[in-house]
Amino acid sequence: MFRSSSRLVSTAAIVAMFFLTACGAPSAENLSSGSGSTSTHADGGAGSHSDHGDLVLEPAKVMGKPDRIIAGPQGNDGQFIVECELSHIASDDPILYPGRTGASHLHAFFGNVETSATSALSELLGAETTCDDRRDTAAYWVPVLVDGATVIEPVYAVAYYRAGTEIDPISVEPYPPGLTMIAGDPLAVDEQPVEVVAWGCGSGARRTAMPPVCPSGSELALSVTFPDCWDGKNLDAPGHRGHLRYSSSGDCPRTHRVAIPQLVFSVFYPVNGDVSHLRLSSGTLGTGHADFINAWDQGHLEHEVDLCIRRQNVCGISSGRRPA
Amino acid sequence: MLALAALVALAACSGDGDATDPEAVEASGVVLNVPEDYPTIQAAVDAAKSGDLVLIAPGVYREEVDVTTDNIVIRGLDRNEVILDGQFERQNGIRVIGANGVSVENMTAMNYRRNGFLWTQATGYRGSYLTAWRNGDYGIYAFDAVGGVFEHSYAAGSTDAGFYIGQCYPCDAVVTDVVSEYNALGYSGTNAGGNILVVNSTFRFNRMGIVPNSGTYELCYPQRDTVIAGNRVYSNNQDDTASFRWAVLFMGSGIFVSGGIQDTVRNNRVWDHDQFGIALVPYLEWSPSDVVTPRENWSLSCDESRKLETVAPEGSILWEPYESRVFDNVVEESGRADLVVASTGIDVSTLGNCFSDNEFATSAPADIESLAPCTKEGVGEGRGDWLTNALDMDEWFDRYQDAPRGRPYQEAPLPKRPVLDNMSDPATAPARPASKIPPKIDIDAIKVPDRIS
Repeated sequence: MFRSSSRLVSTAAIVAMFFLTACGAPSAENLSSGSGSTSTHADGGAGSHSDHGDLVLEPAKVMGKPDRIIAGPQGNDGQFIVECELSHIASDDPILYPGRTGASHLHAFFGNVETSATSALSELLGAETTCDDRRDTAAYWVPVLVDGATVIEPVYAVAYYRAGTEIDPISVEPYPPGLTMIAGDPLAVDEQPVEVVAWGCGSGARRTAMPPVCPSGSELALSVTFPDCWDGKNLDAPGHRGHLRYSSSGDCPRTHRVAIPQLVFSVFYPVNGDVSHLRLSSGTLGTGHADFINAWDQGHLEHEVDLCIRRQNVCGISSGRRPA
Repeated sequence: MLALAALVALAACSGDGDATDPEAVEASGVVLNVPEDYPTIQAAVDAAKSGDLVLIAPGVYREEVDVTTDNIVIRGLDRNEVILDGQFERQNGIRVIGANGVSVENMTAMNYRRNGFLWTQATGYRGSYLTAWRNGDYGIYAFDAVGGVFEHSYAAGSTDAGFYIGQCYPCDAVVTDVVSEYNALGYSGTNAGGNILVVNSTFRFNRMGIVPNSGTYELCYPQRDTVIAGNRVYSNNQDDTASFRWAVLFMGSGIFVSGGIQDTVRNNRVWDHDQFGIALVPYLEWSPSDVVTPRENWSLSCDESRKLETVAPEGSILWEPYESRVFDNVVEESGRADLVVASTGIDVSTLGNCFSDNEFATSAPADIESLAPCTKEGVGEGRGDWLTNALDMDEWFDRYQDAPRGRPYQEAPLPKRPVLDNMSDPATAPARPASKIPPKIDIDAIKVPDRIS
């Protein structure tokens, strides 16, 4: 399933990353040495690009959280899934640092291969993708998992799209083009709610706030659950949270009453056993988060939302029976 | 291919559904021609109504077709020359979603990233005279669908199984007169059972032949109550196919029931396997989504069991093989053992599996038919030592590091795509929407097939 072009991209990105590291730009080693205060803690990139005074990110908790962890056997609830290979790794963040190449901590990008600090939506639409559904040209990214100075390249990622818990599926609307979402908190100091950011092994249902020790046949997984309610107007917000909320008890709040698909983005790492030596480029292992820009082929997204979510069909499952 | 042609010819005489089946919708007589009336298969399918026939002329169709209308029939005029080509870019050749009674027949789907032909959430389905060739996941696949048949069909070059029926109980399904080769698995039946018959077919040159299993990554576990009879299962040692981990790990086996319960394996001819001929073994789930189903829930239907609360266990779980019956098979030339029953977690003698009247040379444990003979009720009083030549499952997990990995499905070598038999009179035969009642098969009349290769 791995496309040779994406391998080239990611390899090139990593080579570039180490080169940058040597020059004092972002590295896995010098990230997230901040004080831990959300007001001053830098979101990544130390070194020559370090200037975080203008970073505006509302705390994740303003969006609420799902009523419960979304995990368990697939096959009951309507869903569509997309499996994506790693595209590239770069110190870019198109949402928090648009236009500022190299300003962020390292991110692992999936899906759209053109995602960068400077990529406009118009450039993303119609670009190549690392996802198995070629019409999913959305941009997905997560911080990189690091072991000392070494980046642990993810094996793959799965995007699950479903109605939020107890949300009436028929009410779910597709994301508008260009919708941006950040789930989880790169600045987290306290433990994040496991309903939003969870670790586990493989596709198994056991989820914990911090990474477990996975057995040898199973891969460490980071799963981030995105908000499922939108204000119906804004593709983004000044603090990147205000346009989105999590539903509760099957309802979206009146301020954000448009139900949208609930994206759960799971990234799988070739990691078994002890994880105490690992951390994320955004800080501790407790700073898990994920980002999304809707650059899907909009017509196909609408088709899938209608067929699989509104009509409650299990259009696909991710069994973990991956090419090996 | 002579053998395949013979098989197709033989099974054409039995196994076909009954055209007057009251459960099937009658044909409307309306024919939608592609490309004459509609430029694409999708356009014709979207225009079709219940009972209509979408009739496709020879050609290469670079499409992925979604079907959501009940009781339509999609037919190629020439099985070998009506080709849906995914070009390694598209997901599924034909995906029937939430539509009942849809028949797909007489065509080829190849080079799809996921599946050649897929039915899901359907009551009543039929795949006949289909060829699935070099697809990234499954060849011909029914998921969460009941009442169906796959017949006179062929699947090769899948990363997972050539044929797959999954997540249903009771499934009421028949797989008959198919050939599955050069896949990771010939047949997979994850969490499927209840009147499933996998019969009179050929599973060869895969990594593994017939491999039902239980698993909590999808619903309706455990796998149970499947009849595997009258098949030729041979030379499933193919180490250059596409594959997934489990098939890499246990490559080289014929019929490999992994954590399955109350299955029947009879009258098969199984030969030339590097490891096992017929094996009943545990299925280890490293990262489960639920606990192992307790015995009192084995008889629950899929509809009932899917409503149960799930519990995310800490650590791995093990599905043990319980109460299957293996009899009247001919098993030869297995590298490790012709007949096998094994457990990792508990005393294998307590699992209630039985073996009788098989022709075989070796078994693990030794003299397996004396240890666990079949009776009418279950397993009879045995004698002997369960430890002699017993299989240590742990040694197999250690093999993974050195096992030959799967090739990308796009690149895994395949022989020339075979030219296979067409259905009768594709241009004029009336449309036959799928019944939810699968064809009747007289299991007791099934004899061990001759050895041909």
